[in-house]
Amino acid sequence: MSERTQSEAFAAPRRELAADTFGMWIFLASEAMLFGALLLVFLAARIAYPQAFAAASGHLSLPLGTANTVVLITSSFTMALAHVFADAGRWRGATAGLAATGALGLVFLAVKGYEYRSEYLEGLAPVLGAPFRYEGPAPANAELFFNLYFTMTALHAAHLLGGIAVVGFVLARWRRTAAAGRLRRVTATGLYWHFVDVVWIFLFPVLYLIDR
Amino acid sequence: MSAAARTLATYLALLALLAATVGSAFVELGLGNAVLNVAIAAVKSVLVVVVFMRFLSGDALPRLAAAAMLLWLAILFGLTLAARLA
Amino acid sequence: MSADTYPPQSYFAAGYGPRAWFLTTDHKRVAWLYLVALTAFFFIGGAMAVVMRLELATPQGDVLTADVYNRMFSIHGIIMVWFFLVPSIPATLGNFLLPLMLGAKDLAFPRLNLASWYVFAFGSLFTLFAVIAGGVDTGWTFYTPLSSLYSDSYVSAAAFGVFIVGFSTIMTGINFIVSVHKLRAPGLTWFRLPIFVWTMYATALVMVLATPVLAASLILIVLERVFGIGVFNPELGGDPLLFQHLFWFYSHPAVYIMILPGMGVVSEILPCFARRPLFGYRAVALSSMAIAVFGFLVWGHHMFVSGQSAYAGVVFSFLSFLVAIPSAIKVFNWTLTLRKGHITFDTPMLYALGFLGLFTFGGLAGLFVASLAVDVHLHDTYFVVAHFHYIMVGGMVTAYMGGLHFWWPKMTGRMYSELWGRIAAVTTFIGFNLTFFPQYVLGYLGMPRRYHAYPAEFAFWHVLSSTGAVVLAIGYVMPFFYLGWSLLRGSAAPANPWRASGLEWQTASPPPQHNFARTPTVTEGPYAYPEPEDER
Repeated sequence: MSERTQSEAFAAPRRELAADTFGMWIFLASEAMLFGALLLVFLAARIAYPQAFAAASGHLSLPLGTANTVVLITSSFTMALAHVFADAGRWRGATAGLAATGALGLVFLAVKGYEYRSEYLEGLAPVLGAPFRYEGPAPANAELFFNLYFTMTALHAAHLLGGIAVVGFVLARWRRTAAAGRLRRVTATGLYWHFVDVVWIFLFPVLYLIDR
Repeated sequence: MSAAARTLATYLALLALLAATVGSAFVELGLGNAVLNVAIAAVKSVLVVVVFMRFLSGDALPRLAAAAMLLWLAILFGLTLAARLA
Repeated sequence: MSADTYPPQSYFAAGYGPRAWFLTTDHKRVAWLYLVALTAFFFIGGAMAVVMRLELATPQGDVLTADVYNRMFSIHGIIMVWFFLVPSIPATLGNFLLPLMLGAKDLAFPRLNLASWYVFAFGSLFTLFAVIAGGVDTGWTFYTPLSSLYSDSYVSAAAFGVFIVGFSTIMTGINFIVSVHKLRAPGLTWFRLPIFVWTMYATALVMVLATPVLAASLILIVLERVFGIGVFNPELGGDPLLFQHLFWFYSHPAVYIMILPGMGVVSEILPCFARRPLFGYRAVALSSMAIAVFGFLVWGHHMFVSGQSAYAGVVFSFLSFLVAIPSAIKVFNWTLTLRKGHITFDTPMLYALGFLGLFTFGGLAGLFVASLAVDVHLHDTYFVVAHFHYIMVGGMVTAYMGGLHFWWPKMTGRMYSELWGRIAAVTTFIGFNLTFFPQYVLGYLGMPRRYHAYPAEFAFWHVLSSTGAVVLAIGYVMPFFYLGWSLLRGSAAPANPWRASGLEWQTASPPPQHNFARTPTVTEGPYAYPEPEDER
């Protein structure tokens, strides 16, 4: 393996960076189809049961959801800053940005976990054997709403967890990574992180803001 | 504007749009609420994609990937919903 | 294989131990890892087909119970579709040849390529576990609500395995697309690319955009079974039909994942053994992309009798006919390539000509089932089984065998027995038609698919089909032996045994570790064989 490029196939790091970026974008397009399919399932159900979904949406915590959106947007901001610093070769700023991004990701997951816990205690979560308790119109359709909510937010959280792991990996290997490799890793991790942010930007209004 | 300043301005714009979307939920607009929510989400996404993900700088291939993604999402949503609602 | 049999510069010489294979990032070695795994799955899936044909040799259910038969055809389909056909040509020949055809040292992401094999191995072994534990009885299509609410077989485990294997497909797709864009040798413009590269690119596009939707539908099935989330359960307001939309949004384009690479292989073989340039090169190249795109617009033709609206049926039926256009463009151009050619019937050519006939035959039957009214009669009968086996087996597997023989000297540096090769090719062709042509008749007469017993009046055609299956099995087992023999005792292959054009033939057989001694510069288009006019 040559020192300057990761892959045998490339002669120059610049070209490899462009290939990495393109590969990442294709992966994100693929991921968008995954989340798109779930959103389609949700949309089909929401079209079928507008009242039940609106009423059920009101049971989600708007303050926590909004706060978490702020957290995630901020994490994207720190990630973008890390990229700006990495571009300029200001490595301390870049590592600080990455660390802040990972920490904010953990905060998001903690808040999400707290939300899950209160919804579970309310009896809204599809846990094995636990009965579904819900006061409101069309409880069966509301149950479908909550199940879709848990499915989509859990899949999003799993992606975020993956992102945090990658950020941790990049930081752990930072000292042993050459400058070209650092820039490539920050670029690719950033693209993924921002994509996970964009998914939440759609999930938040679609799930929390149906009828307030 | 320096890259850092542009990043900060985008961040503030994203927070303002978040406030707008949460605020709009408390105004009764019927179907307009859903449309507005998705429209604001789309604007926020464009900001993230263009500024944070540097969509418009660099070579054209990421734009090819994104265009393919939009086309295929349109096929998935369009044909499925059309077949179900027909 | 002993260390001294290969010249020191060949890629085999880089190492012979397990580490050199299982930790390699050389695309040529990853291709071999896939080849070994896929061969195993091909024979497992094939053995199940043989057992099923044995059961169907008599009208009574005497070999298997109905329940075991259900599990047999389900696993046959799951293994053949996801663990053989989808990765077949891309992961083996594609992995090996794409960098060679591009004039590159490797794929864009060599480590991702190796990772894709491990992901494939993990997912496929997981599904094999489900088979050994007790199997799946839903059919390869996992239709809800049978799969989500009623089946008590190992649906979750099998679906999870397929879900995992999907990741390896996406990894391969990303690698191919980026490589074609970024790693073409100097002078190798898009319209100088061999058709094989075009079809790999089109296949990769479908892999990347369709597979995640299958992943979503499988996740929902597993969640439905484990947590009862109700997406496909009418009790909560869910809709079982929605599953079919998601499933076929993937699985119809997946048909093109399974046939486009075969079209690519045949586009390389036919010009070489007709000594003619490929007729209508640009049309063949662009029709590959057209097939990839149109393939996404037609999935509703699987749901004509599933309760979708009549309007949707009419539109999907019309759109389905669109796919026939680029497919016909290819067939006509292949045929014209043969015109005035100096045709020799070497083994790869026999397979390629077999493909041409069988694919055309299967494709024309596709027009029958794409017609709304006719399909109401033919849906879920053996006619459909015959149709897709003509495409998948008669088309893809035949092309796969043809490609394997064509590039075998390049991959191994060894020649196989030409006589045995021709015998196997002809045996396969006869066996295939004997197996599957009677199934068209059976289906037309009303024999439904997926039954282990049947009325006695269908016995004649079933016996013919079962006899053919034995012949076909012999045709598939033969190459295993003579190709294996050639590895040990075959004579050394020259760099270009077929006098073929193409960059892969300009390097040694087997190629050196980094493919080319120096990066080639391309100055002409593909298929540089003499034009018919040149020889008057």
